[in-house]
Amino acid sequence: MTALLSLRDVRKAYRGDAAPFALEVPRFELAEGEALALAGPSGSGKSTLLMMLALAAPPDAGGFVFAGTDIMRLWRGARRDALAALRARRIGVVPQTGGLLSYLTAEANIALTQRIAGRRDAARLRMLAEELGIAAQLGRRPAELSVGQRQRVAIARALAHRPALVLADEPTASVHPELADAVLALLRRECAASGAALLVATHDPDRAARAGYPVLACATHAPDASGVARSVFDRPPLAEAA
Amino acid sequence: MLRLALADLWHERVLFLCSALGCAAVLAPLIVLFGLRQGVVAGLRAELLEDPRAREIVSVVNRTLEPALFERLAADPRIAFIVPRTRALSATILLEHPDRPGSGLRVELLPTAPGDPLLPGRGAMAADEMVLSATALQRLGVAVGGGVVASVARSREGRREVLSLPMRVVAEAPSSAALRDAAFATLPVLLLTEDFLDGTAAPDARPGGEEEARRRPFAGFRLHAARLEDVPALDREFRVAGIEVASRAEAVAGLLRLDRNLALLFLTIAGAGGLGYLVSLGVGLWAQVERKRRDLALLALLGLRRRALLALPLIQAGAVALAGAALAVAIAAGVAGVLNRAFAGSVTGDRPVCLLTHAMAAGAAGVTLLGALLAAVLAGLRAGAVPPAEGLSEG
Repeated sequence: MTALLSLRDVRKAYRGDAAPFALEVPRFELAEGEALALAGPSGSGKSTLLMMLALAAPPDAGGFVFAGTDIMRLWRGARRDALAALRARRIGVVPQTGGLLSYLTAEANIALTQRIAGRRDAARLRMLAEELGIAAQLGRRPAELSVGQRQRVAIARALAHRPALVLADEPTASVHPELADAVLALLRRECAASGAALLVATHDPDRAARAGYPVLACATHAPDASGVARSVFDRPPLAEAA
Repeated sequence: MLRLALADLWHERVLFLCSALGCAAVLAPLIVLFGLRQGVVAGLRAELLEDPRAREIVSVVNRTLEPALFERLAADPRIAFIVPRTRALSATILLEHPDRPGSGLRVELLPTAPGDPLLPGRGAMAADEMVLSATALQRLGVAVGGGVVASVARSREGRREVLSLPMRVVAEAPSSAALRDAAFATLPVLLLTEDFLDGTAAPDARPGGEEEARRRPFAGFRLHAARLEDVPALDREFRVAGIEVASRAEAVAGLLRLDRNLALLFLTIAGAGGLGYLVSLGVGLWAQVERKRRDLALLALLGLRRRALLALPLIQAGAVALAGAALAVAIAAGVAGVLNRAFAGSVTGDRPVCLLTHAMAAGAAGVTLLGALLAAVLAGLRAGAVPPAEGLSEG
């Protein structure tokens, strides 16, 4: 099995809630179709890592290969359109509170990723809506939907264009605890059905483990002499782990 | 992209309408203002230009002006027409209906020549032809095409001698040429009457040729400037040269000044208004991008290219600008209609006070669109620079 995502000695400095933080990823690999939860307290750099993995923010240094493409080279060459195209075709994103466009219906919101990727597929859209139990809400706008329904629309949108990787940032942060379990289960089930790899950032590793996710916890280190706190996500290569 | 932009506009149609209305509210008065400038100033100017008397300069004191001077003046590009004039006292004749001798009418005899702005459309006249003012025609009971007898009398050694010239009336002079009783004839006719009164021509003499007449010195002239703007300068030059002239130089200078000042006034107001308009348009669009920052970041995160992201505010700005301009033109047209009815026939005669043309409407729409797109490009560059990462975590 080949690695969909492969990071080596990636670093990124960012400002945390209080002190400056340095995010470090010495080793990180994710296989195609694999699901994984990234756990860590808030401010530990989970979102920053997800942004990097979503090709939305450049790492400061290191090696980063996604779907066989050298992402670092694209960033160094400022090939923003190439990154956008890769994002459009291969990645699905579930933002914290859904991130739906208020002026589009649920259906149009889901179709957005298909349109941008140039992969219209009404049948798949319909199938996802039925699987997620929102078929009756397709004609409604986000304002008319419940929080849980909005989250499911966002999941459908993240999967509609058949991405290779789905990234979800605290998808359960704004929903009821009971709903949170359901959302995590839904995400896992749909990604598995679509063959997409899944990365979920969460501050609640127990819930993720209950939902059947392998969990990668981050190691945080107090500020060193230079006053920079470090947050380390380290995952041994698949071959070694196997 | 277009669908997305328009769906957004449609969703926020109240806001869109507000933007378009705001756009129209500033633009409509500017269009009306521009229309007023076109209507009033251009109308006033055209009216002045249409009155041939406005460009007329006449010498008033009898002098002896040599042919060389006339040649020089005729060659001056600022002078469109010049005809010499005989002494004022000898330029009066008695006109009589050929069938009713004794019913004489004393009229002013004015020289004319081909191209006379006072008698537009008239070519060269023969020495026995005349153009009479409407009042003269009426009082004499003569019709155009009829005959008339022109005569002057002198007393010589106690005897009364009369020079009598049978003439043909070829036209009626327009009211702009002569309000009082007047007759227009060729230069040789005027010269003959003068010579007869001076005693150098016999009662049976007949008018000579035009060429020959032009070779003699004259007491004065009547000329028409090529352009209205030339009148004040020509007037001043003649006075400096010691030739007393009468003209409407002061009125013309005043009107030209008014024209310039009005133009400047309109330009200032329109400039300030237009600038403010573009600024408000740009600020509105900029604010819109700021407001939509989250949506734009999300679209960027979903993989929309920068160019497409830039197109969003551009399309929306274009829509706002076009709707606003259309609204403004409609409002301005309504206001212009009301103004034109209210001021009909008072300020600029039968000309519209407020003149709106298709070109102006197109210009307003074009300037608006250009300004809007410029502002939107700036706003759009900002939109394109929104880091996609902002779409992931939402505040």
